[in-house]
Formats: sequence, structure tokens, C-alpha cells
Amino acid sequence: MSLRAFLRHETILAILTVIVLTVLAFQSDKFFTVANLLNQGRLISEVGLVAIIMTFVIATGGIDLSVGSIVGLTAILTGVFWQNFGLPLPLAAGMAILAGMVAGFVNGFIIARFGVPPLIATLATLALYRGLAEGISQARSVRGYPDWFYVLGQGDLGGIPTQLWILFAVAIICAVILGLTSWGRTVYAIGSNEIAACFSGLSVDGAKLAIYTASGFAAAVAGVIFVSRVSTTRSDMGTGLELDAITAVVLGGTSIFGGRGTIIGTVLGLILIQGLKNGLSLAGIKGDGTIVLIGVVLIMTILITNIFRRDGTR
Amino acid sequence: MRKTILATLVSLSLSASFAHAQQPSWTGGDDLPTNPLACDATPATVTAKSYDGGTPVNAPDRKGKTLKVVDVPKLVGIGYFTATSKGIADAAKEMGSMDAKTDGSTKANIDDQITLIDNYITSGVDGILYAANDPVAIAPILKKALAAGIDVVGYDANSTPDSRQWFVNQAEFNGIAKSLIDNLAAEIGEDGSFAIVTSTFTTPNQARWITEMAAYQAKCHPKMKWLETVEAQEDNILSFNQANTLINKYGPELKGILGMTSVATPAAADAVTQAGKCGSVAIVGLATPNAMKPYVGAGCVKSVVLWNPVDLGYAAAYVLRAAADGDLKSGDTAVKAGKLGELKVINGSEILLGAPFVFNKGNIDTFDF
Repeated sequence: MSLRAFLRHETILAILTVIVLTVLAFQSDKFFTVANLLNQGRLISEVGLVAIIMTFVIATGGIDLSVGSIVGLTAILTGVFWQNFGLPLPLAAGMAILAGMVAGFVNGFIIARFGVPPLIATLATLALYRGLAEGISQARSVRGYPDWFYVLGQGDLGGIPTQLWILFAVAIICAVILGLTSWGRTVYAIGSNEIAACFSGLSVDGAKLAIYTASGFAAAVAGVIFVSRVSTTRSDMGTGLELDAITAVVLGGTSIFGGRGTIIGTVLGLILIQGLKNGLSLAGIKGDGTIVLIGVVLIMTILITNIFRRDGTR
Repeated sequence: MRKTILATLVSLSLSASFAHAQQPSWTGGDDLPTNPLACDATPATVTAKSYDGGTPVNAPDRKGKTLKVVDVPKLVGIGYFTATSKGIADAAKEMGSMDAKTDGSTKANIDDQITLIDNYITSGVDGILYAANDPVAIAPILKKALAAGIDVVGYDANSTPDSRQWFVNQAEFNGIAKSLIDNLAAEIGEDGSFAIVTSTFTTPNQARWITEMAAYQAKCHPKMKWLETVEAQEDNILSFNQANTLINKYGPELKGILGMTSVATPAAADAVTQAGKCGSVAIVGLATPNAMKPYVGAGCVKSVVLWNPVDLGYAAAYVLRAAADGDLKSGDTAVKAGKLGELKVINGSEILLGAPFVFNKGNIDTFDF
């Protein structure tokens, strides 16, 4: 392995993650226990699902700020379809996820067809979808789901939290798509130079539509998992989730300008942030101190990578 | 096909929102039954109810031992919860056998609160004090704490009863509702119109107060008119803007604004002051005295309703101690809480702090929190 390959962002991040986790393990004997790690996996799943698809979005040079609102909208629709329309719960959840996909599709449509910058388009739909969630719910929460539904958010499958299996599956599938397929290279091509990608005969609009729809889908699935985990729906669910997801993606080495980024990096970013949040809390550091440290780590990681990068690109 | 689905969904969601919009009495309240107090000062009759709280599983014997306690308020960094955590710290110091610390998110966010409590369960505390951001969403994690043998006591904002042992109730909802509406009616008259600035429509306390206020107003001041309830998320700037919008939107029709949070009330008072409407728009609401002193002093605000949050935190710490020691158990009717004396057990598993307190020009300067 050459020195240059060794100094990839992901490698630096992996080393940093191992160091941080080791240090944290010495701060509290409760940190490195199977129960705690699995529990953290449970807590990370919703942000994780969103962040993995967000990697594609940001790799194309875009951004999706509306994911938190889609989580809220899906949560509310699950409750409304089930309670107010009397649909069976699996169908209600399925319909809600479909609605989340439509919400994502609308993002993609506005961005790809009308050329609205993703930041503006999804900032608008961030407000729009949250408003819809609040309007449809009329601020009533829906509670009292049947017990089997909680298996998704609170139960285990083979000793591992149910939603963690979903996260694993999505992570592996997405890593393969982004890293090994020609469609994955299309994503990078769009992010590096959209015009060149277009003139190379790549379906830029199609890819963008698919990516934003997938982002809506991931947010919707996260929304349903979230409802199952906390056993109620509220229209303010998922507020600020987009920032957690984007933080993990950027920490994972995906360039905010597009053209670069890996799923493994995003997963490492997720682990590092969640590890810090949990480990510092267990070590007795309060919430405000933790977010300060996460900010510092984010800046330091990006700086270290930029110092080591020699190819002159961003 | 795609178009059909989209059209179906849009029509479904629209019909859902219209179905709700037709509920005429909706004001940001909840669906629970109400129990308005008598219009005069007759106290409510206490109905006996058996203990409905939870029990920690296999809790170790903690009697007399130093307890490691974490206090998780809805959010940190606002005067109200700074006051409750001061009360907890005071009680801990007085007892000498409690190691209490306050930790919370800077936003009233249920996800953050759940994660935080989860981490403290893992780290192995003896007791958890909380003020819930959502009564149902917080329940699974509190049940997990009970299952881990941790003593769980709520204050300020309740969760479902079986997810905690005791809840320290700062004031009964119908008591607060009566106090707010009576004070408002005294200022704007029996046929005045008013609007409400609340936290969010789903925040349990505010929703409960609004529902109780509606019931009490219908019973005792039937001619008063509700204009609108607006959300301001316990955010200073948003509360100010919402109050300002109300003043501009309703003009002279608006006779009073009710602030439902300790953030909304001073912000609304500020908005009225800046609009030069002091005297023509009355402000009544829940707030801490320090924040309201300038407006009460200037005569813009006549009555501020609240309990003492320092006492609330103080009582919560003593209740937790008593529960951990086994001195407060199912069936008890009162608990000793240090300098506050004996507090009454109500509603099965709640401890009542006392009647709400009205701060006015005459007494507000004697309080500092």
C-alpha cells in the first residue's frame, strides 16, 4: 500500500475512530459492552439510513435538507392512515412510505426539470413538508399501536436490534451500487462536472430523480422506524435530523461540492459521532460539552485530510 | 400510474386535513376529559385513587446511601429549568446524600431527551428526574430505566403513569386554568376577546391547560371570545413575532394575550410594550418573576401566574429520595419534603406542590428566580 493510498480520508477517519473509541472505552467501563453498542446501533439507525442515501445526494453536488420534514410527514401519515382511515397498519405504513417517496420525487423533479439549486429547492420543501405534517395532524399525536409494530423499533432479531439489520442491508447494497457499478460512477461524474456528464450521454436528470426519490424513501423508512421506536407520532419528529445526517456524510469525506465520497466513509462518520455522543455522556460530560467536541472533531478531521491531500483538488 | 398515486395521495391528505379543520372547538388543546373548578373559591373534592405508578425491578437497597441522580429537564438554558435544577441542587446539598447533576438538550427535543436518558441508564445512575417533552414517546425509555432498577420521578411534565414511580405536580391543571382565566376576565372584562401564545400544540402541559381553560371559561365566563392559539415553541424571537402578528392581525378586537410558557409571556409583554398597546391589550400568563419585573413595574402586566419552580425541583429531589429509601410507597397519602413540609398525594401517584401563585406589583420584587 503506497503512502498516498494510506492517507485517504477514510483511512485517517478509521484510525481516528479507533483511537476515539479506545480512549472512550477507558473513560467508562460501560461503554464497550455489547448491550451498549447494540443500543447505540438502534439509536443511530434512523439518521444512518438517511445519511447513506444523503451520500449519493451530496456526491452529485446536491443536498437534501427536507429529509427531517419527510420523517415527520411519514410519521404523521402512518398514524393518520391507520387511525383516521382505518387501514391495516402494514398498508398504512406502506402508503406513508410511498408518500415519502413522492415527496422525494417532487424534490428531484423541481431540481432536475427546473434547474432550481438543490439547497433552495429542499429548503422550500423542508418548510412545505413540515407544514403539511402539522396541518394534516392538526397537532394531534396518534398513539396505541399494536405490540407487533414495536418489534421494528424496539425489538430484536437474532439478538441484534431489528432496525440495525435494515441499516446493514441498505449500507451494503448502497456501498456496492456507489462503489462498483457504472451507475455509481455516473453519480461521481455528475458531481465532478455535470455538463461533461450530460455531454457524455449520461442520464443526469434521471439519476437525480432516482437519487432524490431514494432519499425520500430512506427518510420515510426512518420515519416509520422512529414511530415504532418511540411508540407515538408527533408532527415535530425528525426536526434537525437533516443536519445530523449531513454532518456524518461530510465527516465521512464526501465533498460538499460533489464528485467524491464513499458509503464506508459515511458509516465511519456515523460511528464516530454516535461513539463520541455516547462515550462522552457515559464519561460524565454534559450535552453542551459534547456538541462542542463534535464540532471540533469535524473541523479537525477535514483539516487533517486537506493537509495530507496532495493531488491539489478540493 | 405515478400520476394516479400522486393524485390519490394529495386528495387523501387534503381530505384528512379538511376533516380535522371542521372540528370547531380546536384550540391547541388535547382530547382528555376536563374537570373545571367551581367559579368561586370552593376547593375541588379529592377522589381517592389507587397507586398507578410503576416499580423499579430488583432495585438494590438504597436506604441512607448516597444516590447518583441525573436530572433531565425538557431543555437547559432557560430561566425556568435553571430554577428547577437549583431547587434539586439545594435539596441535594441539604440532604448530603445525593449526588445530583442536570443535563439536557438545548432544544426541547424528544429524540435528544430519549438518547440522553438512555446513556444515563447505561452509565448506571440510581435515580432519574425528568420533565417530559412528550408523555408517550418518553415512556419506553423510562420503563427501561425502571426495569434496570433505577428510581424514576417526574416533575413539571408528566409521562404515562406506569413508566415512572411518582410525578411531582406543580399545580393541578384546572387550578392553573382557573387562575389564568379569572385574572384575564378581571382585566379584559367578561366579553373580551383574547388570543393564546403556546409552546407547541402537542406539548402535554400547555395542551392540558388550554383544554381546562376552555372548559372553565365556558362554565364561568361564557361570553369571552377565543380568537386564536398560535405556536411559538418556547422560542424568544418566535414568541415575540407571534404576539406581534396577533396585535396587527386583530387590531382593537384583541383585548388580551395569554402566554402559556415562561418564554411566551415576557415576549408577548415586550411585543405589546413596543406596539404602544400597554393598557389596551392585557397580558396574563405563566412566567418567572425576574423576566416579568420590568413589565409589571411599568404597569403593562398586572398578573403573572406560576408556582415556584425552585420549590418544584426541591420537592422532586425529596420525593426521589423518599421513593429510593422506601419511605414513599404505594398507598401513602403524603410525603415529607424538607422545608416544604408534608405534600399531598393526588391522582394515585402524583405529589401536589400546592396552589398556583399570582405575582403582581405588590409582591413580585420579593422573588428572585
